[in-house]
Amino acid sequence: MRFAIILLVVLALACSVGSLVTQGQSYAWYAQRYSERTAALILALHLDDAFHSWWFILINAFLCVNLLLCNLLRLPSLIARTRAEADPRAILAGKGAVSVENVAAPEPVFQRLRMPKPAEAETEDGTPALVSSKNRAGLWGAWVCHLGILLLIVGFSLGQMTQKQYAVYGVPGQTRPVGDTGCAVSIDDFDIGLRADDTVEQYTARITVLGPDGQSESAEISVNNPARLFGMKFYQNSTGWAATVRVTEGGEPLQEEILCAGEYLQVADKPDLVIDFNAFYPDYVQRAGAMPETASGQLNNPGYLYSVYYQEQMIGMNVLMAGETLTIDDYAVTFSEPQPYTMIQIKEDHFTGVALAGGLVTMLGLLLAFYVQPARVWAIRQEDGRWTLRGESRKGGAIFRDQFLRAAGVKDGENIAEKEE
Amino acid sequence: MLQIENTLFTIVMLIYFAAMILYFAFIAARKEGLARAAVALQCAGFALHTAALVCRGIGAGRLPLTNQYEFATSFAWGLCLVSLAFIFWYKFTVLGAFAAPVIFLIIGYAAMQSKAVHELMPALRSNWLGFHVSTAIIAYGAFGVSFVLSIIFLLRDRMKARGFLDSHIPNREKLDAISYRSVSLGLLFLTFTIVTGAIWAERAWGSYWSWDPKETWSLVTWIVYAAYLHLRIRRGWQGRAAAIFAAVGFVCVMFTYVGVNTFLPGIHSYA
Ligand code: HEM
Repeated sequence: MRFAIILLVVLALACSVGSLVTQGQSYAWYAQRYSERTAALILALHLDDAFHSWWFILINAFLCVNLLLCNLLRLPSLIARTRAEADPRAILAGKGAVSVENVAAPEPVFQRLRMPKPAEAETEDGTPALVSSKNRAGLWGAWVCHLGILLLIVGFSLGQMTQKQYAVYGVPGQTRPVGDTGCAVSIDDFDIGLRADDTVEQYTARITVLGPDGQSESAEISVNNPARLFGMKFYQNSTGWAATVRVTEGGEPLQEEILCAGEYLQVADKPDLVIDFNAFYPDYVQRAGAMPETASGQLNNPGYLYSVYYQEQMIGMNVLMAGETLTIDDYAVTFSEPQPYTMIQIKEDHFTGVALAGGLVTMLGLLLAFYVQPARVWAIRQEDGRWTLRGESRKGGAIFRDQFLRAAGVKDGENIAEKEE
Repeated sequence: MLQIENTLFTIVMLIYFAAMILYFAFIAARKEGLARAAVALQCAGFALHTAALVCRGIGAGRLPLTNQYEFATSFAWGLCLVSLAFIFWYKFTVLGAFAAPVIFLIIGYAAMQSKAVHELMPALRSNWLGFHVSTAIIAYGAFGVSFVLSIIFLLRDRMKARGFLDSHIPNREKLDAISYRSVSLGLLFLTFTIVTGAIWAERAWGSYWSWDPKETWSLVTWIVYAAYLHLRIRRGWQGRAAAIFAAVGFVCVMFTYVGVNTFLPGIHSYA
């Protein structure tokens, strides 16, 4: 138990360190933010990727081993205790955490304590007795909770190790391959639902996924409503702008491609020449000395930021407005027909269900541990025909004693003050 | 509707303030009547606060649980709810005197936030958001009560005026047991919060856990309270040590709530 507490405290510290140090940055970034020595220390201790570092995994492994051993070792005694909890002989052998003597009628006390109807029994020396026990399931709370946490950590870790993620983006009409799965996503439609005030209500894409063997499945996906196709989950993730780029050579059409902002094209008959479509501004404004900006999301004044590379050297960068032409020697380049593209995230994680089950089992365990409190109440007949009532609730503690005394008609506070000091 | 909500909110703030003063007067003057009036006032404040939240929900056309202002006022509401429940359940009026300043601080924090109603970005338009945040409110309210109980516990140990204390504050053992009840309520609901949040994140972003600072800090909070539970089981660690631990837990809660938004960037920055 002490080890468990130490582990939990260490885990809490590890998590907080991981959240206080910005994750996933480079040595240069940390050196600038902190100092060179701190940066070296951060990298040496893997604090830049704390949640996947060997020491974080080690702490969790210890936690899992502890939980597993603890649950295994406790299983036999837990089963025995569960049996004993409702066994009249075991109950009558106890002394009880609280007792009241000289009770004339015990049944109403059982009722007031919301105990099940007591069963008749006898003590070892044959004295008549009444016993009642409830909420034995509560004994299993900690055990079930620990099992849930174990499932959660195992499901999460296996998921991290085996999951596959892909992203595809494109405009309606395009079909893009999904990594190395042999599947392809065809984007049938993409809609941005706007409210009256121009804010985005929903992004919705209709997709058809083509399987490796020619089968296909279609679905509509939107934010918060992913679809499961071919064992993978498809998420409407984000959006951006695409445009049609046309290249002519000596006036003759040479090439036409739809590029999403961030993509580039190689000129067909001169692969050394690359046009990079950097960004799109639907309502372009340029203030002196500032970076280009867009004034709104409306297509009022479309501007295309491009750069041109020849043999990997940048030879130009500028903003081209709708209708303008960029001329490079014999080539003429235009951007037109801006349209939103959709980015679809694709994920395959077979262990999400295990982790979810772990979460649910943990909740069930906590519910049992906290709100299903085992209690035993029994009455033994005195020689004068009245009864001695005893009660025991391992978890109920002082609160159970209070309830017990109140139910037995002992006035509030009488037994409480004297217990102190 | 939002106009009504605004007015109600101001009234509620004044009522909570008045209840706090009455509670203080009760402790200073030790008159039972003042205590009853303070509890009645807190109940009235709670009822109007509920009405204010309903108005905001109707006015905004959705659950009022999506920005800093809405969460802060709901947090105060949750703390008020859980503290009233504990006051009545355990017949423990003095709890109100210590809870009232915390409630007032939180609703004061809410008053400083922007009350503008914004339309929700698509990722926030999910029923899971409702479960996620409403369970968080109960969890935070329960942790707030456990914090208040820890303070009472630690003060009780230091105070000398026994007569008033013994009649109005439960003994150490019972205080510890009540504190355990509030922590367990909070931990159960924090678990609901984290699980519903993970389910929602999985649907919205495709990843149910991504070590975002807010997620991480809610996990830290969860672990701290789990440690509290195990500490309490060890003989001799109930009482003082447990009370200190529960107070530390609430510092984590507050850091998760305010600190993370202020100091650490992440996907939760909007809420
Ligand atoms: C190293 C890992 C852990 C070990 C070895 C451990 C061990 C134990 C032990 C021996 C008990 C006493 C059981 C009883 O009295 O019936 C217990 C209780 C409990 N544990 Fe753990 N535990 C660990 C982690 C956790 C975690 C992370 C949680 C998360 C909330 C947790 C939740 C509980 C609960 C709810 C109880 C019951 C406490 C109560 O009823 O007051 N445990 N644990």
